[in-house]
Amino acid sequence: MRRARLAVLAVVAVTWLWAGRAAVAQENAACLGCHEAAGTEVTFPDGSRLGATVHPQRFGASVHAPLPCVTCHAGQTDYPHPPRAARSARAYQVAAQQICATCHAEAAAAYAAGSHGRAVARGATDVPLCTSCHTAHEVVPPATAAFRNNAPELCGNCHADEALMARYGVRVVYQAYTEEFHGVTTRLYRIVTPMSPSPAAVCSDCHTAHRVLPPTDPASTVSPANVLATCRTCHATAGRFFATAWTEHRAPSLRFATLVYLVQVFYWILIPATVAVLVALTALDLWYWVWVRRRRRRA
Amino acid sequence: MRHWRGPQVERFSLLQRLEHFVLLVLFNVLALTGLPQKYSTSAWGEQLIAVMGGIAHVRFIHRTAAVLLVVMGLYHVVVVAATRRRPVRRHDMRLSLRDLRDLWGDVRFLAGLSRERPRFGRFDYRQKFEYWAVLWGTVIMAVSGLVMWFPEFTTRWLPGVVVPAARVAHGGEALLALFAVILWHFYNAHFRPDVFPMDPAMFTGTISVERARHEHPAEYEELERLGLAGGPPPGSPTARPPAS
Repeated sequence: MRRARLAVLAVVAVTWLWAGRAAVAQENAACLGCHEAAGTEVTFPDGSRLGATVHPQRFGASVHAPLPCVTCHAGQTDYPHPPRAARSARAYQVAAQQICATCHAEAAAAYAAGSHGRAVARGATDVPLCTSCHTAHEVVPPATAAFRNNAPELCGNCHADEALMARYGVRVVYQAYTEEFHGVTTRLYRIVTPMSPSPAAVCSDCHTAHRVLPPTDPASTVSPANVLATCRTCHATAGRFFATAWTEHRAPSLRFATLVYLVQVFYWILIPATVAVLVALTALDLWYWVWVRRRRRRA
Repeated sequence: MRHWRGPQVERFSLLQRLEHFVLLVLFNVLALTGLPQKYSTSAWGEQLIAVMGGIAHVRFIHRTAAVLLVVMGLYHVVVVAATRRRPVRRHDMRLSLRDLRDLWGDVRFLAGLSRERPRFGRFDYRQKFEYWAVLWGTVIMAVSGLVMWFPEFTTRWLPGVVVPAARVAHGGEALLALFAVILWHFYNAHFRPDVFPMDPAMFTGTISVERARHEHPAEYEELERLGLAGGPPPGSPTARPPAS
């Protein structure tokens, strides 16, 4: 009896969920009727514009596909849409972070405590918001290969930009990362085996995704006091000097990572010198065969 | 011009020839899986890695070949230590001042400044240079490779900076080995006019007594002293290799 009742309950639940999904899809189809057209835009009072096109397939593949549009875009049920409070596209996106926070409270709090969130609170307009990294309508889980293998490029959008980084006194690190072991591995996964997530560290593994702090901040996961523990989240058996293997996304020089620099200089000298000697000896040997030997035979 | 016919002396035992063949295979596998890692941002590097099924496969092949090479290197050292005292087919790779003098004398001879060629022993200065380059190179590659493979273990005792330093050394030493092989070994074993297209001694295991007399006169004298250089005159079809 009990089992039968459970079965009925399950069937009802599935049907209800299924029907719910179907209803959401129907509801969203009404919005997409206009918003799937390429080039749909919203113009704000200050003249800035924001794309309002939603790609149906990509939205359908996103984690938010089961949600009705009005979950985030509350009150936008009628057409023409009611006027927006935001004066600019940026102000609209900043305000939209509150919408993300209603479900993602933990991530939002971490973000607010990190460098990016703090800068936004100070009014910076060139600092990433939720949608800068996650997009508005194509949000995928960060553990997927598509997101993870691309994370360095995502951060690199800003952290490879000399002028932007100079404004905040941050070193440009993207290029150095791509040449390190982690970066080489992740890049090859992205290019050669894009369906498998890279097993090597991407930016967020060490710096966290949301509460990103400079290494000078004692609370940072990459501060001198915390970095070894951060390494050990992947390298569980890392020795006590492990963190000093880290070259801080910097090129070695006479002052920094001196041994690495000296080994490099050693081979810069040794390789050309060896090649020069071997080429000279080979040339001399050929000289013997084509000239000296022939002359002696004639003599 | 070639003195390759006639009675032969053994130059490399079957095991040594096998060792050389395995080294040849492993060297190529390591270069083929290592270079695209060093130059992973190049188009050819990416393509090679893609052909081999991604970086995880490439690393697995590279490390497997590396372990085999290290095992063979250890075997080699043991054999050398065990056979160093026997009268023939012993190691003969010991470097001495004489090799430097031979190099200088050979440079003068090849340049046409001297009519006398230095009297080389069983292995001349070029062959010794190659041998020690391979041995020393294998040690550097093995140590730096293991440091990179097991950085967690290494940094229990050593400062972390050795890990990125090992990475630089591994790449530098790889290029050095590659250039040495392409320039020096290919020239001396393949392209030199007297051996072109290939010196077969490493695969047949023997060279003629006559060739030894020309190219390794000091060895020839020793063979004569031991009574191993005799036998029928060069060109005789019944010539048999002397026992060693």
